[in-house]
Amino acid sequence: MKKSSMGLLPVLLWLSLFLVVPMLIVVGISFMSRDDLGNVVFHFNLDAYATFFDPLYLGIYWDTIVLSIVTTALCLLLSYPLAYYIANAGPKMQTWGLALITVPFWINFLIRTYAWVLLLRTQGVVNNLLLDLGFIQEPLQMLYTKGAVLLGMVYTFIPFMVLPIYVALEQMDKKLLEAASDLGATGWKSFWHITLPQTKSGIMTGSVLVYVSTTGMFVVTDILGGAKSAMISNIIQSQFLGARNWPFGSALSVIFVITSLILIALFNKAMTSRHMTAKEGR
Amino acid sequence: MYLLRIHSILQLIIDVRKRGDKELKKMKWAGLALAAAMVLTVLSGCGSSKETLNIYSWADNFDADVLAAFEKEYDVKINYDVFANNEDLLAKIKAGGSGYDLIQPSDYMVATMIKQDLLAPLNKDNIPNFANIADTYKNPSFDPDNKYSVVYTSGVTGIAYNTKYVKDEIDSWEDLWNPEYKGKVILLDDNREVIGMALKKAGKSNSSTDEGEITAAVEDLKNLLPSVLAFDTDNIKQKMIQEEGWIATVWSGDASVIVKDNPDVAYVVPKEGGTIWSDNYAIPKGAKHQELAEKFINFMLDPENSATNYESIGYSDPNTKAHEFHSEEYNNDKMINLSEDELSRTEWLQDVGDKLQVYDRFWTELKSGRE
Repeated sequence: MKKSSMGLLPVLLWLSLFLVVPMLIVVGISFMSRDDLGNVVFHFNLDAYATFFDPLYLGIYWDTIVLSIVTTALCLLLSYPLAYYIANAGPKMQTWGLALITVPFWINFLIRTYAWVLLLRTQGVVNNLLLDLGFIQEPLQMLYTKGAVLLGMVYTFIPFMVLPIYVALEQMDKKLLEAASDLGATGWKSFWHITLPQTKSGIMTGSVLVYVSTTGMFVVTDILGGAKSAMISNIIQSQFLGARNWPFGSALSVIFVITSLILIALFNKAMTSRHMTAKEGR
Repeated sequence: MYLLRIHSILQLIIDVRKRGDKELKKMKWAGLALAAAMVLTVLSGCGSSKETLNIYSWADNFDADVLAAFEKEYDVKINYDVFANNEDLLAKIKAGGSGYDLIQPSDYMVATMIKQDLLAPLNKDNIPNFANIADTYKNPSFDPDNKYSVVYTSGVTGIAYNTKYVKDEIDSWEDLWNPEYKGKVILLDDNREVIGMALKKAGKSNSSTDEGEITAAVEDLKNLLPSVLAFDTDNIKQKMIQEEGWIATVWSGDASVIVKDNPDVAYVVPKEGGTIWSDNYAIPKGAKHQELAEKFINFMLDPENSATNYESIGYSDPNTKAHEFHSEEYNNDKMINLSEDELSRTEWLQDVGDKLQVYDRFWTELKSGRE
């Protein structure tokens, strides 16, 4: 026991130095104020938190949460069948399937996002194709819309969902499925009572990864959304740069972390309580 | 060399595996120490005895050949790092110990840095070529006696429009509000530029600190919002070249680049006037090679060097003596060489102090499409 905890020491040191300390600094700054030049002034107050309750910022935060939940749900709907297919395919197909998911990841994220610009713009690939085939007479305005943002988010985060679900499906005890079919369960019934509960851990991991990454994303809204639908992370970024209001940016970050933790805890609770009933059913 | 070291570490690891438990610990530490030593040598390996000029500037802001010529003439090495915006620059310099000798802040950032006591006064004796700079760019409002800064390049925010789609004559900011261009208007992604534009349209200063004036300008901009395709600064050129947008607020230098790739695009400084901006040379306080940095500024202001440099990067050359060394194409480009008349209608952005928070909140409102 002692030996293994000794091995953890470097990583604990690393995390506390480069993760915990900066987080504490952010929390500290959120209680301070700024002077006219944008310098942080050591003067304890809650102004930065009070500013958050401006309906403007509350509204933007609400929009961010809604977009993140929709992105997570869409990722889940698209990823589960894909992961299921890959996990149940032959070894060769598995390798290919996983490669197709992971290889695009090796390309820089910005370049992949700009590729969508080339596809979606008015003189882009999709519009030209539709025009040539005669489906439309005028190019469609697909880029710089909320739909383009959602598309970009789902595209970016699908691997975060597929991989954990794939792992869960892989590690699943396949004997349970045989037992179920021996006892006369239909395909859907055994999926609902065995496969789905068994892969809940994968769904949970994937959902949390996608949700947290979406709320923290500000590049997609800028590039595919034309910077017209600001998300909370766009606001945080601008507070640290253009607006030079570090206390407010820090307060937003702290609120952001706390609300995300609460939402994830609620989600986990909902998932595990469902899991209990599923166990009873077995 | 390094391959050899890596090989010896591998050998060591193999040895460790072969030896007994007793020796193991000792060998592990030796391995660690060796690895650390290797990292240190790699890190320090880039040091050299030559004097180094550390420049912190925008990407691709100098012609590489001119930089190489400076290195050769003064037998020094140039270390060139880049930042993406003035705020990154400010954060780095403010943190201290950045080691930079020469930086290139924009106009309003020069003012902010002077106020924060971050810049060193320039020794003009080392910069005799300062005399070559056009009077328009000397003694700017943000640094009245050029005590801390020397202009590098400059431009004016005007309107770029594609004559294929925009048939009316464009001469006013008002034209952006024309309902015919709905969904095809692009604005700079910058709170001061956009709100400043609406202030100019109303005949006010682009740096107004009067909340009534700012509010009125923002209300006006809300009527423009349904027409806006996107807010963009970095890729606005591509959006205009690809004809995604028909009409946009664009810097004169970017307009010149757009027109080269898409000759249907035209550029105008509206009659109400526009915002003028500049990027400048400045030296951070405590720079280790201040004299060398001043020599560099002087070198860049030499008429021939300056012609080569600006010809290559395509921005406006404030050097009056360089005119004869520039190509005809460069000298005839009206967006690079703005007329006296156009320049007389421009206004610098001033630091607005704590009113920046007002601008920022309104900006957030505009960009989120909320009340």
